[in-house]
Amino acid sequence: MTVTREEAAKALEEVSRASDRIVTLKGYNQGAPHFIIWGLVWLVANTVTQFWPDQTDWAWGSGIVMGMIASAVAGIVQSRGVKPDAPSAFDPKTARRVGLTWLVTLAFISCLIFISRPETSREANAMISIFFPFMYMGAGIWAGWRLFAIGLVTAAGILAGFVWIGEYYALWMGLFGGGSLIAGGLWLRSA
Amino acid sequence: MDGPDEIIHQSMRLRIAATLNALPHGEQLEFNKLKAVLGATDGNMATHLAALEKAGYIAIQKDFVGKKPRTRVWLTRPGRKAFDRHVAYLRELLDGGS
Repeated sequence: MTVTREEAAKALEEVSRASDRIVTLKGYNQGAPHFIIWGLVWLVANTVTQFWPDQTDWAWGSGIVMGMIASAVAGIVQSRGVKPDAPSAFDPKTARRVGLTWLVTLAFISCLIFISRPETSREANAMISIFFPFMYMGAGIWAGWRLFAIGLVTAAGILAGFVWIGEYYALWMGLFGGGSLIAGGLWLRSA
Repeated sequence: MDGPDEIIHQSMRLRIAATLNALPHGEQLEFNKLKAVLGATDGNMATHLAALEKAGYIAIQKDFVGKKPRTRVWLTRPGRKAFDRHVAYLRELLDGGS
């Protein structure tokens, strides 16, 4: 069997395309449940904020804790599903890194609030929420255009709501912000 | 320099091997997902998977999820080595000329 230089170049291109595609799809599939989980947290906590404002702190505090637990469980279940022969799906090193990433994120948001001192809960909500879709857009540049698109749509919705929606902003954030994350998660899962 | 791997070099089998090789060692991929990623038909995919399995390059596991049959494939250690060797051959061919 002989292979020409042209055939070799074409074969290497095929190898590269196939590898890139599966890595992107794998990232989408792994990210999908986390989008759905955090979409639900946004949906419920923002709805509580809208209709029962005195329960806001409790709703967000418990929502974030439950979201983190659900995300951790989803990550463990995913790693078990792909490697049935793996001795343990829980990796303490990864767990530490995930925990530290969360701490860094919370510290960043706290600094943002401390420096900018938003005057209303609406401003604080928009400021905190807008951070995440831009993070998805940044990640999407590297990991796949669907991630970028979800971030773009969510960020546009957050800004549009901030400009045009007044007293029902929290409800908008729950329905549109949470809804776009849930829909985005389902879209990633279908890839 | 080693020669080309005749089993892997066929276009669809090369794409199958490249896809499975991009996953961590031992990680399995569902038949339907693989088929969708590569845009192949059931028959075409089954033929090429059978050739790769016969060579010992991939392993296939069939089971049920509830009542639904599920087929998962992964690249074996010899398959990974053969793929790496073949890609190295292709790169050498391009770099060195022939």
